[in-house]
Amino acid sequence: MTATSAFPATSGMFVDGAQLPKTVKVGGVNHYFGEGELRSQALFDNHLEVRRGEIVIMTGPSGSGKTTLLTLIGTLRTVQEGSLKVLGNELNGASRDQINKLRRDLGFIFQAHNLFGSLTAHQNVNMACELVEMERKESDRRIRMLLERLGLGERINYKPDQLSGGQKQRVAVARGLVHNPRIVLADEPTAALDEKSGREVVTLFQEMANDHGCTIIMVTHDSRILDVADRIVKMEGGKIKADSAVQETSVICEFLRQFPLFSSLTPTTLTEVADMMRVETAEAGDVVIRQNDPGELFYLIRTGAVDVVVDDGQKTRTVAELKEGQYFGEAALIRDEPRNATIIAKEHSVFYTLGKADFTRTLGRAASFREEIQQALFSRS
Amino acid sequence: MNTPLAWKNLVHNKVRTAVALAGVAFAVILIFMQLGFKNAVRKTATQIYDALDFDLMLRSPEYLHLTDPGMFPKERIYQAESLPEVEIVRPLYLGLSEWQRPQSESIPDSGWEGQWRGIICMGADPNDPPFARPDIRRVAQQLTDPRFVAMDTKSKPEFGPANGRRFSSQDFGVETILGGGRVQIVGIFELGTGLACNGACLVSPEGYATACYWQPADQVNLGLARLAPGADPLETQERLQALLGAPDVNPVTPQTSATPADVEVLTRAEVIAREEFRWVEQTPLGKIFTFGVWVAMFVGVAIVYQVLSTDIANMMGEYATLKAMGYPNKFLTRVVLEQSVLLALIGYVPSLVISWILYQVVGAWSGMPMILTPTIAGAVLMLAVVMCVLSGLAALRKLFQADPADLF
Repeated sequence: MTATSAFPATSGMFVDGAQLPKTVKVGGVNHYFGEGELRSQALFDNHLEVRRGEIVIMTGPSGSGKTTLLTLIGTLRTVQEGSLKVLGNELNGASRDQINKLRRDLGFIFQAHNLFGSLTAHQNVNMACELVEMERKESDRRIRMLLERLGLGERINYKPDQLSGGQKQRVAVARGLVHNPRIVLADEPTAALDEKSGREVVTLFQEMANDHGCTIIMVTHDSRILDVADRIVKMEGGKIKADSAVQETSVICEFLRQFPLFSSLTPTTLTEVADMMRVETAEAGDVVIRQNDPGELFYLIRTGAVDVVVDDGQKTRTVAELKEGQYFGEAALIRDEPRNATIIAKEHSVFYTLGKADFTRTLGRAASFREEIQQALFSRS
Repeated sequence: MNTPLAWKNLVHNKVRTAVALAGVAFAVILIFMQLGFKNAVRKTATQIYDALDFDLMLRSPEYLHLTDPGMFPKERIYQAESLPEVEIVRPLYLGLSEWQRPQSESIPDSGWEGQWRGIICMGADPNDPPFARPDIRRVAQQLTDPRFVAMDTKSKPEFGPANGRRFSSQDFGVETILGGGRVQIVGIFELGTGLACNGACLVSPEGYATACYWQPADQVNLGLARLAPGADPLETQERLQALLGAPDVNPVTPQTSATPADVEVLTRAEVIAREEFRWVEQTPLGKIFTFGVWVAMFVGVAIVYQVLSTDIANMMGEYATLKAMGYPNKFLTRVVLEQSVLLALIGYVPSLVISWILYQVVGAWSGMPMILTPTIAGAVLMLAVVMCVLSGLAALRKLFQADPADLF
């Protein structure tokens, strides 16, 4: 038996190797706003897993639910349906005290800086240190270090009304990071910043992720900082439409490019195809597809190995062995025929699958792309 | 030391804080004045007693208040003196008489000349006046003729002082009519005229008989007993009451004692307490000022609530951020309540000074004994803190609505 997961292939959840602990686990989360007749669903069955030290960028049009999901992860909203684990704590049904305790391990950076007008930059940042009862010497050192890094070394003792919008935002960034949170949740942290300080902020994020294993989840439309993302989560209409680990996506694209019919696709189209793929797993001896069954899926082997077994009516024989990066199941889809062979997993294997409709559509695009090229070449000569 | 957020917020929003402090001060001064008035009522009611020399008092069970004391037979005084514990019992005549405003040449015709005014008239034996205060004793000793009268300088100008303001040595020799006979002003004293009347005067017992000619000659109003050294006031009170008969509280039950129950014996503390109770609790006077305190509190709560809730509304985002960071509601509550208490304490100090000045001004102007006692100062401080904490608690509701989910 093979098992299909709710996660897309690009999420990279099923790749063997060093498995880092997950800091955030979202499982089947639904969320509703309003009461009675006005009740409307904002989130639909979302699944997401984020690892320690990962930088996740959430994108999507406004109203797509990314902010709702972010506030749920940040314990700022009550989980209504589904499971949401943050740093190992189940938030669904968590008590007020548990949540307040958990919040100390989180760092928030809001779009509005929300600094106390009565406190200096140093004192504002210090509010975060006092909560976790950081030693005074240590907090002072960290506050100075962060504010200096963010170009506010000269303005440590200025009050917010003596600072520009960008400077205030940078103080808020320092306040979100100063207590060494294990997860940072940020909403457009660089929107009010110029290129240079925006870069400094994301560099800080990267250092925290790499050196301290801090997980960073941010909502942003700032394309200048997309390069720091380890994972990009795209939301639409209250559902995660794409969850792409940047590394894993490029691996899939590389595999897909090996498939002759897809070789002409552009990287953009390949990424889209990768996003459409789902994950399936199989244990040794599991039959993945059976000869003469109708063909529904195209398979790419992410890890593991399979035997191709053909039954010619008299006896069965193993005609080939397929390994990581190879594919099967395309023939039945292209010719719209039943399966011409049985595939049996030789060991624990992970496959990325593409549905028949998506596969056919992609083939069509590849064809039209080829024609376009031919047209272009033809008209040039 | 944590960041004193409450203090910083107050210092930062100077204008708003000034408005809040003005509000607190306004309410606190109002409370001060109301409590001062109430205390003045209490003091006024009893200040004549404070000037009298007695350990136990004999008076009629019909006694209502100082200016309506009722009367009892003079024999009771002699009867009471028969007890060895009693050193002496001195009568004090006390009643309302009528005073004709004397003609005055120094001030122009005000239309009052010759008019009659109700006045408290006290009659005391000039040979041994029952006053504790030596200055009043001296004046009373001068009233050796039934026609001599001494005026309380706290009497209002409507009684016709020569200078138009208050009786002074200028009035010595002035003649007018008190009750049923002519009198001549020969002395002044300062005591205070009570709440039922605007003026007071002192005469000899014979002078009193003329001034309050409707009172039978064998009746007195108060008997002031001084005890022999070492005598216990409570025991003596009991023995005296037994001797003179139980007061006729229930006329249906026949009296068992030999003498009719026309005298009640009270200790000094009882006299003061009953007089205060009469004026503060049984007349509207005390109630008005108690009510005034509540009104002042309400005004104060409204002002401080307004300021605090505006403050919170302006900092919703900041407070919500603190919540998101993991600060519990308890912390936010403490910040707001600290702010409230600071407002109360800071607002209290100038109010205390201003109220002290107002007490002097109002006291001098009205003749009421306005005294800023430590009890009043303490009570007002407590009320100010309660007032501000109540406002803070009301404003907190808003704070609890701060939803960090709105920040994203």
